[in-house]
Amino acid sequence: MNKAIIKKVVALYLGLAIMMLFSNKVRAEQETSDKKIIHQQVFNQQVFEQLKQKYQGSRWLMLLWSVDCPPCMKELALVKKLQQQKQDLAVVIVNVDSDEESEQQRQAIIKHFELTQLTHLYFRDGFEDHSRYLIDPQWYGELPRSYFIDEAGTFHGKSGLVTKALLDKWLLSSRA
Amino acid sequence: MILVKKNALLSYVAVCMVLAVIPEAFSGHHQHQPKAKTVGEINQIDCQQVDIRCAKTVTSAFSPKGDLWRLWSQQQALYYQRSTDNGANFTAAKRIAIPDEKISARNENRPKIAFDKAQGVYLSWAMPRERKYTADIRFSYSKDDGKTFSLPVTINDDDLLTGHSFNEMLVDEQGNVNIVWLDGRLKLAKQSKKSAAQGSAIFMATANMKKGGLTLNPEDNNQETFVNKEVVNGTCVCCRLAIDVNSKGNLAILWRHIYGDNIREFAITTVNEQQQAYQVSYDHWQINGCPHQGGALSIDDTNRYHLVWFNQGDKGKGIFYAHSDDAGKTLTTPLNIGEQAAQAAHAHMSEYNGIVDIVWTQFTGTEHQLWHQRSSDNGQTFTPAIVIATAKKGADRPFILTHKNKSYVSWLRFGQGHWLSQL
Repeated sequence: MNKAIIKKVVALYLGLAIMMLFSNKVRAEQETSDKKIIHQQVFNQQVFEQLKQKYQGSRWLMLLWSVDCPPCMKELALVKKLQQQKQDLAVVIVNVDSDEESEQQRQAIIKHFELTQLTHLYFRDGFEDHSRYLIDPQWYGELPRSYFIDEAGTFHGKSGLVTKALLDKWLLSSRA
Repeated sequence: MILVKKNALLSYVAVCMVLAVIPEAFSGHHQHQPKAKTVGEINQIDCQQVDIRCAKTVTSAFSPKGDLWRLWSQQQALYYQRSTDNGANFTAAKRIAIPDEKISARNENRPKIAFDKAQGVYLSWAMPRERKYTADIRFSYSKDDGKTFSLPVTINDDDLLTGHSFNEMLVDEQGNVNIVWLDGRLKLAKQSKKSAAQGSAIFMATANMKKGGLTLNPEDNNQETFVNKEVVNGTCVCCRLAIDVNSKGNLAILWRHIYGDNIREFAITTVNEQQQAYQVSYDHWQINGCPHQGGALSIDDTNRYHLVWFNQGDKGKGIFYAHSDDAGKTLTTPLNIGEQAAQAAHAHMSEYNGIVDIVWTQFTGTEHQLWHQRSSDNGQTFTPAIVIATAKKGADRPFILTHKNKSYVSWLRFGQGHWLSQL
């Protein structure tokens, strides 16, 4: 009688272990495919506040881009180079396109520049200007737009392609 | 009894654990479903259906007989509606009967529609190609007031996979159709020689569909009718162009040019009248990027050129209006339009009978406002600016259209629909 119970319990635990192993495998596969799909989150006030908290006291960069902006590709290429020099860059990349039509394009561009490891956000459809205003009421939508955020949390906005030297200084120096 | 309970309990725990683990493992999938953004966000409009409220851009124009047409793109097709009462009521949406193809329709880039006096309807648009930032300028023509349209042809004659986009189109009194666009062919040629390349070029092509029995059938090898001509090189790559015909019948073009080290200023030229373009803005906006803000141009019967533009330079920020009596060589002191601190942007302007109307958008943080200002003395003085409409969920750029000495504003409000009103 006892043996039978022990057998049943063992079988159950074994089954459970196999199932957990399987689910871990599923999860691992999922994580791999997620990297391919790219984690993207809708930009909103809450997400923005979370980001500011996450990087509180340190330097970071917020880069805004669009698939309709050729110079933005050059800036993404600079971030790609920087990433080869330093892992875990304090860079948040925000796409301003939001519409369904450009979603595939933006995925392809992020993959092309091998930036899947970074945090990616995108503006909500129909709320592009709301999102822009939330970041900076004095930004008129010109791109690329880079915000250099210092240790005190102050945003320094710059329109147009920035130099690699400036990005290096901001993100690679020992204070970063 | 106890053993049975123990067994059942273990099974229950196991099942719960499995259930708890597996959904978590798959939860990632849910975040990556195609966004059901159209439903819900735009008041339950089903954007699988043809509906102007699903459009990102609308282009409106009056035909010579007074019908107001509005044109938009959805699902790789062009649709239009007509109104015989200045936009109060529209016919059911009708598809332009041409094969499906990609159509650029957002922000500064959008399909165009124009008319001649003899039942001719002209369409042009940019068709994205297989590589990023490549497109062709496409054209289709109806000789029977829109009953039938010709198979689209490509207007750019370079046969190159490069940028051809931001098309503008104007049909003049003689029925000449002028198409101008931003063209990447010169940049591509420069790149192949490994020399420094800066910006795009403006190309234009002109044809008259009433002459020579042109059919626009690609098999007729008639693309030669639209002979491409370079207007200027070294322009900004992502701002719309503005065109109008002057009192001598020549086409004038206003665009954002790149001067020196990425100083993006507006420039103007009148085709057939000058070799060198005139620089018209001196706001000193240095940006190696995309302003995504073009200007507007309207030329009156006295050949006064009215201009509006937008800059964010060291020396000038915001929307500006000025006019010129010598085709842009000299201008009046630019007048600041709208409230710069309130995101005043995307101005459009039109003149008729000495009345100059300017519209633009501002943003309060929660809603877009459409503003209007009018001059009744040909641009000397303007009435105070007023808000004429608002939008809650984002909005397209506003445009003014004139017909029979009246002007109207066309404004697409995302999710709300197309707003048309007499100014």
